[in-house]
Amino acid sequence: MSDDVVSDEERKKISFHFDRHAEGYRERFEDITHEMHSRCPIAWTETHGGHWVAAGNREVFELAARSAEYLSNDNDVKGERRGYQGISIPAPPRARGRRGGFLEMDPPEQRHYRQALNPYLSPAAISRWIPWIDEVVRACLDEKIEEGRIDFVEDLVNIVPAVFTLAMMGIPIKDWTIYCEPAHAAIYTPLTSPDIMRVGELHMAMGMELVKRLGEIKANPRPGLIDGLLNADINGKKAPDDELLGVLGLLIGGGFDTTTALSAHAIEWLSENPAERERLSRERDTLLDSATEEFLRFYTPAVGDGRTVSADCEVAGVRFKEGDRLWLSWAMANRDPAVFEDPDQIKMEREGNRHASFGLGIHRCIGSNVARTVFKRMMLQVLDRMPDYVCDPEGTMHYDTIAVINGMRFLPATFTPGPRLGPGLEETLEKLQKVCDEQRLAEPVTVRKARAKVAD
Amino acid sequence: MKVKVDQSLCQGHTLCAMKAPEVFELDDVDGHSSPISPEVPAGQEANVLNAVKSCPERAISVEGAP
Repeated sequence: MSDDVVSDEERKKISFHFDRHAEGYRERFEDITHEMHSRCPIAWTETHGGHWVAAGNREVFELAARSAEYLSNDNDVKGERRGYQGISIPAPPRARGRRGGFLEMDPPEQRHYRQALNPYLSPAAISRWIPWIDEVVRACLDEKIEEGRIDFVEDLVNIVPAVFTLAMMGIPIKDWTIYCEPAHAAIYTPLTSPDIMRVGELHMAMGMELVKRLGEIKANPRPGLIDGLLNADINGKKAPDDELLGVLGLLIGGGFDTTTALSAHAIEWLSENPAERERLSRERDTLLDSATEEFLRFYTPAVGDGRTVSADCEVAGVRFKEGDRLWLSWAMANRDPAVFEDPDQIKMEREGNRHASFGLGIHRCIGSNVARTVFKRMMLQVLDRMPDYVCDPEGTMHYDTIAVINGMRFLPATFTPGPRLGPGLEETLEKLQKVCDEQRLAEPVTVRKARAKVAD
Repeated sequence: MKVKVDQSLCQGHTLCAMKAPEVFELDDVDGHSSPISPEVPAGQEANVLNAVKSCPERAISVEGAP
């Protein structure tokens, strides 16, 4: 017993006070990252019940990509297995009682869910939607183009990912407003905020809406991710409703807030660096891919993931014990000077950019192809139609807390007005809903290979 | 030069196909990568080495690099 105590102290001797939820963390992120990289690329912190923090690129890689057999994502909400607490540190109050879909599962169950959804989300599946996505972007910009004023978050990068996520799920796209505020507010509202109860209620209402949609699609199947989940073979059985609702919450959370965060930051940086914006526009054919990866690396929308150690092990020189909690910081791994030259600078042409922004290992973000495609389609039209936009730092609001998502709430800008190219958002969404239904766009790529046809 | 993608490590990040689209093909269903041919076509060596350096899972290996 006493040996264990001594060894516990011994193995946790490299410690660092780390609290992503603390006030001012966003401003101190780079300093904290530098300190951890130079002093303790992996460390024990006493915060939030005590947990490990992996900050070094090598350490994060060895753990996330090479140690799947020692790490669990399980959120054992009913106490049926080993009582593990999933991927949030600490567990958010709204999530108690429900697993966060397959991101809070281990194989083989996790693999079965992903196999059911992959044919909707692969590069080939997503590229079918490009003309459809372009039309949503066009309509968002047309709403503002004559005015010469836009809030990029509220008027563009909140809308396109939301509408597209719902279309893929098989939910009517006009409902995007029901989901939009709770999906973002649940992330940006600090746990200590007086607003947290209201946000919790909005989130509950969204949950009820998802229950309704699930029932409808069960009774009257329509193509999309929800239908794919209802028909999925999970260990030889159908998935239970409470697990499906967890998956739907994961798809909404993953689909809405992350691409929004990435796009807003990229748009803000390009406003501050107009020569780079011009270069990106001019050299888009060769530069857009690497610039996208660089924005992903630098701004790391989903900053990290929690794990529970599922067996005693030694990885990256640290002795872990079964039950230990661990935070894998994708954001800090992405700034490691051992892997990235000048890690705190954005270099749109960066090569060898093996960032961890979509996670590493078996839980790689299943929506990564959605994120990249939606981001690029939005950027292209902004560069073409508002090439001289200037963001207003006074009106810009970053998330108070970047403990979960490095996001932005407002990004107002002005630009030289231009002519509208088509109908506004409401009319366009009506048309695109018809296109979606008639062409069965939300079928998996195994059923439907053709690209969307949007022209009248 | 020969190139291999370790299928037990590839997670479908797709960066290799961005760097060397003539060398790697992505599965329609899950986006996982494999080389179109194990022999790297002449002139594609630099793109393939760039793909190796870009793979987040370190799943790509080459033999006979110049």
